[in-house]
Amino acid sequence: MDPPAGTETSAPASRGLTRRRARLLRWAGAAFRSVTTVVALGLVALLAGLVVFLLRGAEPSIVRFGPGFLSGTAWDVPQGIFGALPPLEGTLITSGLALLLAVPIALGVALFASEMAPRWLRGPVGYVIDLGAAVPSVVYGFWAIVVLVPFLSGTIEPGVARLTGGVGPFAGPPRGTDLLAAGLILAIMIVPTIAALAREALRSVPRDLREAALGVGATRWEATRLAVLGPAAPGLVGAVILGFARAIGETIAVALVIGNEYQLPSSLFSRGVTIPSWIVNAFSESYGITLSSLYELAALLLVVSVAINLGARLLIGRWERRRGRGHRWRRGTSGLATGTTAPGSGAPRPWFAAVIAARARRLRRRRVVQALVLALVVGAVALAAWPLASVIGTAVANGGRAVVTPSFYTSEPPPPCGIGQAVCPVGGIGPEIQGTFIMVGLAAAVALPAGLLAGIYLAEYARRRVGTLMGLVVDVLLGVPTILIGVFVFSAFLTYDRLDDQSAFAGAAALAVLMLPIVAKSTELALRTVPETVREGALALGFPRHRVTLRVVLGSCRSALVTGLLLAIMRAAGETAAVLFTAGSSVYWATNLRTPIGAIAPFIYDALTVYTSSNYGVAAWGAALVLLLMMAAVTLAARLAVRRTDAQRGT
Amino acid sequence: MAPKLEVRDLNAWYAGRQALYDVAVDLEDRAATAVIGPSGCGKSTFLRCLNRLHEEVPGARVSGSIRMDGSDLAREHVVSVRCRVGMVFQKPNPFPNLSVFENVAAGLRLLGVRRRDELDQGVADALVHAGLWEEVEQQLDAPGTSLSGGQQQRLCIARALAVRPEVLLLDEPCSALDPIATAKVESLLARLKREYCLVVVTHNLAQARRISDRTAFFYLGKVVEVGATEELFTRPAEKLTENYVNGRFG
Ligand SMILES: Nc1ncnc2c1ncn2[C@@H]1O[C@H](COP(=O)(O)OP(=O)(O)O)[C@@H](O)[C@H]1O
Ligand SMILES: [Mg+2]
Repeated sequence: MDPPAGTETSAPASRGLTRRRARLLRWAGAAFRSVTTVVALGLVALLAGLVVFLLRGAEPSIVRFGPGFLSGTAWDVPQGIFGALPPLEGTLITSGLALLLAVPIALGVALFASEMAPRWLRGPVGYVIDLGAAVPSVVYGFWAIVVLVPFLSGTIEPGVARLTGGVGPFAGPPRGTDLLAAGLILAIMIVPTIAALAREALRSVPRDLREAALGVGATRWEATRLAVLGPAAPGLVGAVILGFARAIGETIAVALVIGNEYQLPSSLFSRGVTIPSWIVNAFSESYGITLSSLYELAALLLVVSVAINLGARLLIGRWERRRGRGHRWRRGTSGLATGTTAPGSGAPRPWFAAVIAARARRLRRRRVVQALVLALVVGAVALAAWPLASVIGTAVANGGRAVVTPSFYTSEPPPPCGIGQAVCPVGGIGPEIQGTFIMVGLAAAVALPAGLLAGIYLAEYARRRVGTLMGLVVDVLLGVPTILIGVFVFSAFLTYDRLDDQSAFAGAAALAVLMLPIVAKSTELALRTVPETVREGALALGFPRHRVTLRVVLGSCRSALVTGLLLAIMRAAGETAAVLFTAGSSVYWATNLRTPIGAIAPFIYDALTVYTSSNYGVAAWGAALVLLLMMAAVTLAARLAVRRTDAQRGT
Repeated sequence: MAPKLEVRDLNAWYAGRQALYDVAVDLEDRAATAVIGPSGCGKSTFLRCLNRLHEEVPGARVSGSIRMDGSDLAREHVVSVRCRVGMVFQKPNPFPNLSVFENVAAGLRLLGVRRRDELDQGVADALVHAGLWEEVEQQLDAPGTSLSGGQQQRLCIARALAVRPEVLLLDEPCSALDPIATAKVESLLARLKREYCLVVVTHNLAQARRISDRTAFFYLGKVVEVGATEELFTRPAEKLTENYVNGRFG
């Protein structure tokens, strides 16, 4: 660590400071502390603002429909009658289906990456998982339209209908755009999310526990079962719950494949809606009481995701506390059941000879079990790998040419291409790249420093109660579906019905809100990995507290901090839902930050929904590939940073 | 009498860095062998080679031969090796989510012991053997981690003993314990060495002298000297050993 500048301040306290100097230092410390506190309180204000603005927007609808809103099934704009049941059911069915499919696969993938794979393969598998979790939802949605939906309507759904007789949940014509498609794409999206978190949970189990199990003669799978799954269980459950929360809040990919028909689902093959997909579809053309009902839907979504978040925290917290106190593994072992112990003689019991004799035979059986588990886990990996490989392959096949054409980065999207035209120009996404850079840059300029300060407050200054509460606020903010951030910023910054107020600034504000909790959380976690002894060592040398934090603590977890910042930037660059109706859309170069602006991810969505008549296909795939490449690069950078830290720590 | 374990030309590496050089040691049955040496000289690595835990470290490699009762350990299935060669670690590491009872029963269950009375007997015997029975008789259902540090270490010893290994490896088993707990573990080891081939790594020379019959002195990954404990401490053959056992470096 480098010594603090200014000989006077760096003098150990024992040599004494001039009184002025000491006062200055105290003042600086207090000022720094207050700044971090104020920024952290800003996060609370943000959450409060989110709640207030959603409720304010929802008020007319709440007053008009009362609790009947929850059970109503209509979305009748001319008559002004609205009810939330279809999207509520649609959300629960699609997320539930996704969870059912994703959990076993994701856990298998995590087990493979953390426990069962050959060591040289674990790192690369971890990277692919992280990459899968980083693929923007609009890219998944685009892929689903092009690959998944035709596959469903052409092969899977007719087959399932034949097998089951086309009744119950499998009734109706095979369309491909239905609840099943939404559930599947959600499953595909949350597999890497859950797997990444589950892998962390597994990896955080100390190595000496694994070795303890191996030391008593466990196979790899037995060691996992015996020593790893138990301690990792709360983390695994947390991973599953976060995956569920992500499925519930997912907007863009679902909106693209669910069919968007406001009706109670009658089967998995029927078109439907989810809360977020309906909001994104209806928001820009709604006003008055219709808009208010959309706000009420948004408020409902907030309630659901906050409830899941808090529920998970409570559950896991209690679980961990209970374990600390003395959780019973197996009832009825207090005292020995049989009372046949005759302690003293060290000789083996008669039955033990048989155990030893059967050891080799039994070991063969245990190795079969080990092989079976390995096969299952590898199967899960294969199932998880197919969609990701297909996403990347499709993007490369369709957008590869565009991406290697320099003009793709400098031209505007092409004008509409007539049916009779022989060759349609590909154009480019220059303005969209510009827009993404402008908005992410503006957002980062605010969110990175603010998030850092908030994280410092959480890790270094917050006292117990307040810290727990603030941590809760950050977690809740982290779990807020991004579509709600879009709605919130729209209602806070822009007046109703004046869509031309959408601007680069509003888009950047939404992205800042998105990034802030990510940066705060990753900063807090990074700071918490710095051992207390480092702080104490520096304090003992006479460093004032704030300098310890700024120089020593921040310095010793630099790469973890950078990783967090990179991940936040990556999330912002791939975000669609929050940008869509805050930044608006434009396919021209931006000259004014107060007017609508395009960006890469929303461009793909617009190309699929608004501009379908024009020849944006190639440009959209090019844009998707650009996003994928960005995510791959950032994920790799983050990984390398983490690896360097690990190497430094000698672990 | 033929040695229980014969180690020859043992070399071990961590991710390209060599930690053991041509180690050759005989480990006698029904005796305790102490492994001493300054820290970082490869004592733990040596021990972990003996039950093939070393191969679990990413990037680690090993060469040479280790024979138990004349047959090569590398030829045997690794799980069976670890059943026969038990290990107790420096830091007590009971399974945190298992009770005292289940911690000890873990190895037996892996071996296929299912019957309630057999498990009860096996667990009770191991706990008695490890000198822990009286202290935990009433807390068999408590989590293993709720015991005191010394009790946890003896629980780990009981866990290793439950499957009746032929060799018991202990890596600085007392370094995390207070003097009273240390004394208990030492007297336990003194008892166990009559029945097992014990290999005890320790940085405590007095302890090595108290509990071991033979001692191997490691330095910079090599065996400098190995012989009867009294002999090695009082009339060391090597200058290096003499300096070390007289506390002139370390
Ligand atoms: N997991 C590991 N990775 C890399 N090097 C290691 C690892 N464990 C030990 N070493 C190195 O191997 C050498 C021997 O270590 P060790 O056997 O633990 O020594 P001792 O137990 O005698 O203190 C040391 O130089 C140590 O730095
Ligand atoms: Mg050691």
